[in-house]
Amino acid sequence: MASKRLGRTQDPTILVLTSLSGGPKHGYAVIKDIESMSGVSFGPGTLYGVLARLEEEGMVEPLPAEGHRRPYRITGVGAAVLRERLEVTVKVADVAFKRLGALGA
Amino acid sequence: MKGNSAVEGALRCYPTWWRARYADEVRAVTDDLTLEGRSTTRVALDLLLGALKVRARAEGMPKVYRLWATRTRLSIAAATLPWLLTAPLVLIAMGNQSLHSSAGRVFPPQLTVFGTNDLLVMGRHAPIPAPSLAPAGRIVVGATLAITVLFLLTVVVLAIGWIRFSGGVGLSSAHRRRVALLVWAPGFALLADIAVVIAQTLVRPTSYQSSGGGAMVPLNGHPEATHVLGIILAVVAIAGWLVSIVCVAMAAKRAEVVPKDLRFGRNVSVIVASLFAALLAAYAIWGIGLIMQTHQAAHGNFTTIAYSNQYLWLPMVLLLIVTLSLSAFSARAAARSWRVISLELL
Repeated sequence: MASKRLGRTQDPTILVLTSLSGGPKHGYAVIKDIESMSGVSFGPGTLYGVLARLEEEGMVEPLPAEGHRRPYRITGVGAAVLRERLEVTVKVADVAFKRLGALGA
Repeated sequence: MKGNSAVEGALRCYPTWWRARYADEVRAVTDDLTLEGRSTTRVALDLLLGALKVRARAEGMPKVYRLWATRTRLSIAAATLPWLLTAPLVLIAMGNQSLHSSAGRVFPPQLTVFGTNDLLVMGRHAPIPAPSLAPAGRIVVGATLAITVLFLLTVVVLAIGWIRFSGGVGLSSAHRRRVALLVWAPGFALLADIAVVIAQTLVRPTSYQSSGGGAMVPLNGHPEATHVLGIILAVVAIAGWLVSIVCVAMAAKRAEVVPKDLRFGRNVSVIVASLFAALLAAYAIWGIGLIMQTHQAAHGNFTTIAYSNQYLWLPMVLLLIVTLSLSAFSARAAARSWRVISLELL
């Protein structure tokens, strides 16, 4: 239950960029990938809201469509932003684990 | 089939540019999700929420002048029309003023705009000074004055904006005749009101004669027609007001105006939203003042002010909060859209 609550608060931008850092994917594949790695289940409205913003900011780019499915891939800018955000997250996580350890939790 | 129509309905809520770019992909993802068993209602709701976000934030909207100009115009309309819709209701929700005191009927029955009159009550033989106005009554008087000034100020700002907008439409719109008709709807509505008022003046009785039983009998004019025209005037005024709002909104969507008029409209929307916030504050203070003076009158001999519709204060405050939020959000959107136009598209 607690992990579900945490899952809901995860940043969709990071989740989508993380998913695409594993290689180009179309919308449904991104949703399934995010679901399997974080337990967060996106709807298409949420996903394409994030994709549109990331595309506008140059962090992802669309590839030629395969039928009605269009794959997206992460760009250099997107990878740099993801790395920067993850470094902060890792630092915070390190501090959090150390403090939890000190608490004996 | 029902699920598909819900999804298609939600997709229709997205802007045209978004549908042209993403709708096919979203349909494919939706098909995959529903095949694996996800509820179409849940998918449709997610799409609906997404559509609201896209319309509010315009993320991913192509940097095309026409699209951003339309967004700016619609944001300006959405910032100003809530005021037009609700501010007149504030005046209605206040109603007529009257003065009360434990010493008897107070006259004159209403205060001047600044609340400076000498108030009297009828003594045994002659009028005597009425109890002083409750201290919170001064707050009510001040708030009433502020509401009136803010209302008139906003009318002036909107009138200037409307004149500039109608002039801009006349100069540059592709369908300018049709759009000009829509823009001039408030003018036509006003003319219709004036025509009914003139008609009512023409048929209203001007001289009366006592019938003996205390009743007054008109010697000229048509009292029944006057009454009917009074009803017609109310209907024409309310219908004209609402139709004008719809027409101006439609004109804002279709009209093409030059960039400097867009910038002017952006300024108007920001000023109107700010005045709207001040109006809400003044109206809230007005209601609090009324409540405070009632408590003061319960513990001392004071003259208090009452308004015929003051019981509508709380629902009106809630309505104003909702409409002000829409107005402020839209003014912000207009400012942001204009910034995109001025920095990236001109």
